[in-house]
Amino acid sequence: MIKLIEKIEGEAKLNFHFKNNKIDKVDVDFMSTRHIEDILKGKSPLDALVINPRVCGICGHAHLIATVRALEDCYEKIEISNKAKIIRELTLNFELIQNHFKWFYLTIFPLFGLKQNVMKAVTPSQLMGKAIALFGGQYPHTSYAIVGGVVCEITQMDLIKLEHYIDETIGFFEKNLLDVDVQMLQDSDNVMNLLSKSGDLVDILNLIETNGWLEYGKSYDRFIVFGESSYFAKGKSIKTRVMHNLSLADVLESASTTSFAKSVHYHGKYYEVGPLARAMVKKTPLIKDAHRKYKDSMFTRILARVCEISQLLLHCKSLIAELDLSEPSYIKPKMEITSFNSSGSSAVEAARGTLIHKVVIEDSLIKSYEIITPTQWNLCGGVNENHGVSQKAMIGLENTEIAELVFKSFDVCSVCTTH
Amino acid sequence: MKKKVRILWLGLITCNGNTHSFLNYTHLEQFFNDFEFIYHPIIDSEYSLEDIISQDVACDILLIEGAIADDFIKADVLGIDIIKKYSNIVSKIVTVGTCATFGGIFKESHYENVSGLHFKEEKRTEKYNHLFEKTISISGCPIHPETLVSTLYAIKKGLDLKLDSYLRPKEYFAYTVHNGCTRNEYFEYKVDHHHFGELEGCMFYDHGCQGPLTHGSCNKILWNEINSKTRAGLPCMGCTEPSFPKQNLFSTKKNMGIPEFLPVGVNKRVYLTLAGITKAFKIDRLQKKLFDD
Repeated sequence: MIKLIEKIEGEAKLNFHFKNNKIDKVDVDFMSTRHIEDILKGKSPLDALVINPRVCGICGHAHLIATVRALEDCYEKIEISNKAKIIRELTLNFELIQNHFKWFYLTIFPLFGLKQNVMKAVTPSQLMGKAIALFGGQYPHTSYAIVGGVVCEITQMDLIKLEHYIDETIGFFEKNLLDVDVQMLQDSDNVMNLLSKSGDLVDILNLIETNGWLEYGKSYDRFIVFGESSYFAKGKSIKTRVMHNLSLADVLESASTTSFAKSVHYHGKYYEVGPLARAMVKKTPLIKDAHRKYKDSMFTRILARVCEISQLLLHCKSLIAELDLSEPSYIKPKMEITSFNSSGSSAVEAARGTLIHKVVIEDSLIKSYEIITPTQWNLCGGVNENHGVSQKAMIGLENTEIAELVFKSFDVCSVCTTH
Repeated sequence: MKKKVRILWLGLITCNGNTHSFLNYTHLEQFFNDFEFIYHPIIDSEYSLEDIISQDVACDILLIEGAIADDFIKADVLGIDIIKKYSNIVSKIVTVGTCATFGGIFKESHYENVSGLHFKEEKRTEKYNHLFEKTISISGCPIHPETLVSTLYAIKKGLDLKLDSYLRPKEYFAYTVHNGCTRNEYFEYKVDHHHFGELEGCMFYDHGCQGPLTHGSCNKILWNEINSKTRAGLPCMGCTEPSFPKQNLFSTKKNMGIPEFLPVGVNKRVYLTLAGITKAFKIDRLQKKLFDD
C-alpha cells in the first residue's frame, strides 16, 4: 500500500508491505531533487555562502554555518575570533529552536488529533527569527557568516534586545509547553515527575501513554553526533554505550535505485541523528531517564526534541555572558580562498541532526560539493534486510496512520533530503 | 460567516524559504480571519495535495513558489499540469519568490525549460502569455512577508495595483534596497574603505553590494521588523532581481576602478562627475569610528 506523506517540507512516498496484518517492510521514496551540488560546481567558493542557505527554508542557517566551516577547513590555519564563534553558535541555536517549535505545533499536534496551532508555532519562531536577524540582517536566508568571521558588529544595546527575545521565548516555553521552571527542568532526571505537570508537551506525552503507544517508534537504539559545539558533544551511542572517537571519513553515502535520497551510513551501519542522539551522547539526565524506561521510542524522541528548546535557550544565555565585544567580529584571512587548491569538510548539528558539507576547490573554483543532510541519516531506506532507521521504527506497527506518526517523529525534511 | 478568500499555495522546485518567511508575518491571526488555504505546504488545509490534484477545488488565488519546469513531477503529476488546471479556476496568480518569478537559483537545476512563470531571468517566456494579465510577481529570495500579505489584501480589496515591467507592485519594488540603509552616508560621500565586522562603511565599492541597483523595500520595511542585510554589514545579493544569483557575490567587479554595475538610472558620466566632486573633500566624521572615544 502506497501512501503519500505530505507537509514534510515537501512530500515523500511510503510503500507499506504487510505480513500478518503488521507492517513488515516500508520503502521510503523521495520523488525529486534540485541538483544543488551540481549548481555549485564551477562557482566561486564564497558564492556557496549565498547558494547553500537555499538548500532549505527551515534549516538554511545550518547550511550556511556548515558551508563557512567547510570553506575555513580548506585553510591550513585560519584565525576566527572567539566572539565570531560564539555569535555563529548563537544564531545556529536560534534556528534549531524555531524549528522545534514549528515541528511540535504544526506537525506533531495534528497527528495526535489536536488542532494544528499556527500561532503557537510562529510566536516563538518569530522571536528566534528576530534574534538571528539582529546579527544576520534577516531570517531566513542570511549569509552573514563569512570566511574569517561574521559580517556584523554588535553593541551592548543589541544584546539587551537579544536577551529580551530569549527571555520571552523561555516565558512562552514555560507557559505553553511545560509548566516547569526551565532551570529546574535542566536539572531534572525523572521523567515521571514531568507527566503530572501541565502543558502541551505533557498532553502529548500522556496521550502516547493512554493510547498505548509507549512501545512505538523503537529502532536500532544507535545514535551518532558529528557536530561539536560548546553544547553538543561528538560521539556515538550504541545501547547507551558512548564513544567519542569518530571519523568523518567513515561516513559513506550510497545512491538508492528507487529514491532520489541517498542513504548514509557509518562503518556500514545506520544511525539515528537529531535531538535524541545529541541527548544520548551528551547523557542529558532527563532524556537518559526516559530512555531507560522507554528506550528509543517515539515518546523519548519527542521529549528529547522539545526539551532541547529549553536547554539551548539557557545555553544561549550563558554564551552571551561569555561574549567579549572588544574582540573583532571578522579577521581578514591572510590568503584569499581562491588563491590555492584545497579541500575541506565540516559537520554541524542542524535541527534534525548531523549535517555534513564537503568541498573541493581547484583553480579558484568549486570543483565538487557534497552535502549529507540529517534526514538522509534518519529516513533513507536500506535494502532488503538492512533497514534504515525510520524503516526499522515502523516495522511491526498495525496501521499506516500510526506509521506516519512514527515517521514524522523523526522530523522529516524533504527539501533538505532532495537538495 | 464571512467568506474567506481561498488560496492554493503550490510549491514546485523550491527550498520552502518563502513558506517560512511568510510565517514571519506579524499579524497572521488577522490574516487567517480573511484568508484560508485550500492547500499549503505546512499549514493544515481542508484538502490534501492528492485532493487538489484529483479534483477541481474552488479557489480564488494561486500562489506558485519555486521554479517551474516542463518535466518536474509533484505527487506523480506534472507540476505544470497543476498550474494549468488551477490557473483556469482562480482569478489571480501570484508568483511567490525569485524562483517562481525569474527562475532564481533553481533555473540551473537539470530540468527541462526551467524558468519563472513569465520570465527566465529578464527574458519573457511566451508559454503562459494568456496568464500574464492575471499575474502579480513578488520576487525576493525569500519574499518579504509583508510584500506578499499586503499584495493578497490588495487583490482581496480589488485595488488597482501599479506594477513594474516584471509585474511587481511598485509600492514595494520602486525603491532600491539602498533606500534607508544605515550605511548610506558612506556611499553618498564615496567613503570606500569598508571592512567586514564593522558598523561603518559601505559594501558597494569593494564587497559586491547590489543595494543601489536592486529593487526592493528591505531597508524601508526591514526584515523580521528589526534589521536588514546591508544594515548588518552583509552586501545586498540582488535577490529580487532577474539576474539573481550573479557570480562572485562578495566582490565588486570594476573596470578601471569604476564599478561595472552602477546605481539604477545613473550613467557612467554622472557617476564619475559625482565621484570626482566627493573625492575633493574629506568628512572627518565618516573617516572615524561611529562611537569615537
